[in-house]
Amino acid sequence: MAKVVVDAMAMQRALTRITYEIIERNKGVDDLVILGIKTRGVYLARRIASRLQQLENVTVPVGDLDITSYRDDIEHDADRDPKVSAANINFSVAGKKVILVDDVLYTGRTIRAAMSAVMDLGRPKSINLAVLVDRGHRELPIRADFVGKNIPSSQRERIKVSVSEIDDRDAVEIQQA
Amino acid sequence: MAKRYLILEDGSAYAGEGFGAGATTSGEVISSLNLLGYQETITDQIYHNQIIIFAQPAIGNVGINHDSYESILPTAKGMVVRDVTNISTNRLSRLSLDEFLQQHNIPGISGIDTRYLVRKLRKMDGPVKGSIVDVADAHAFDQLNATVLTNRQVDQVATPKPYPNPDTGKNVVVIDFGLKHGILRQLSERRCNVTVLPWTASAQDVLNLDPDGVLLSTGPGSPLDLGEGVLEMIRTVQAEIPLFAIGLGHELFALANGAQLAALPVEYHGSSHPIRRIITNDILYATQGQGYAVIGKSIDRDRLITTYVDLIDGTVQGLRHRDYPAFSVQFFADGAPGPHESRDLFDEFMESMTAREG
Repeated sequence: MAKVVVDAMAMQRALTRITYEIIERNKGVDDLVILGIKTRGVYLARRIASRLQQLENVTVPVGDLDITSYRDDIEHDADRDPKVSAANINFSVAGKKVILVDDVLYTGRTIRAAMSAVMDLGRPKSINLAVLVDRGHRELPIRADFVGKNIPSSQRERIKVSVSEIDDRDAVEIQQA
Repeated sequence: MAKRYLILEDGSAYAGEGFGAGATTSGEVISSLNLLGYQETITDQIYHNQIIIFAQPAIGNVGINHDSYESILPTAKGMVVRDVTNISTNRLSRLSLDEFLQQHNIPGISGIDTRYLVRKLRKMDGPVKGSIVDVADAHAFDQLNATVLTNRQVDQVATPKPYPNPDTGKNVVVIDFGLKHGILRQLSERRCNVTVLPWTASAQDVLNLDPDGVLLSTGPGSPLDLGEGVLEMIRTVQAEIPLFAIGLGHELFALANGAQLAALPVEYHGSSHPIRRIITNDILYATQGQGYAVIGKSIDRDRLITTYVDLIDGTVQGLRHRDYPAFSVQFFADGAPGPHESRDLFDEFMESMTAREG
């Protein structure tokens, strides 16, 4: 059984608000780079970048972070941490204000791995985290700076984010396991 | 019905049939291009002391119902229409338009070529005074020319005392400049626990109530006549609390943040202009009613971001502060009367309050 908790309109609004909050927090868009965590974080990152482009007429670099081995929301991999690769990023992050973008923030392990991958590339001025959904159950001391929606969830539930670029629609659903 | 006249300050007179109250009134003559929502229009306090010309030719055909009041005591000075209908089959109708206007002592005049008048008003620069009178003689014109239009509209229609509209959700303070009820309805739908404060409230009055959000309402007249105090209040409050401003509230929000305003040559009241939402580059329609517009070039881009723009006349339709969750729209996001597609700005306001809580 699936329940839609964020519909297409609400997802658009959430990304719009996150974009404005990024401008508020960073006092503009200078030195900003946006890194999306695959798969859906990449599309969210591009949408935020396109909004910044619309508002500020500035092209903010967008890169992909690839989760290479396993995902932390799949039960049998729970004892191994995810690995994130920054191999696709062809610009420098040194001295930049990095915005990491992911669809769901859960244990925090992916984000920790993503931060390591970014810092292997260079020394950013700062790293902020933007997520569409924060579902709780953190296992590491990590929190998001920009949250689309807080969805307190049970660990038995699955949060499914759909984006229209690769799915049939924009939505966030809760599925009972 | 009695023969009556609409007279304008340029010396022209238009004969028609009186309806509603038999009163003789004077006011600023403006035109509404909205196809729908005459009840919302006539009861909206932005039309305080104005005589409204309706471009839509058939007015009165849904009566007056309890759902469509934008204020309970209308203070418009008259309705000018092509055809007035007093028969309604709307199930919600409780009164005919004629009865309603009689009860509130507002005159109407029908049988006027309103579309001609709309075009004529566009050519007459600046506010145009007019009267609805029984006899269009020299005396009537003398009276009209001697009429001085007030610039204290907000004082006349905004609440002088605070009042609550309790619910169980977010604490929202509404600053009343002559608000339309649609704003309160949208907040009620979202379960907001609302306190309405008079527009003279200080920042301290607002902060004492510990609100989650503050809304600056619509209202009549010029934002330039309200003084520095209210701008000071806005500057203090926006730095502390998520803020959403509509209509006159938007104009004041712009002024408070250094932008300048210009009076439009002709007030615009309608809902047919496409409005571009810049951030997502899409189009929406909304009910608009404005006599002033923010001058785009005067906007300090280090303080404000332009968020919406009217694609017909190029006016700034929305702003957002760069440093705070504070935003505004010129158009009426409550969609009363419709279109309704900008109502989710109230959701955006709710979500900015939630985001603030963390």
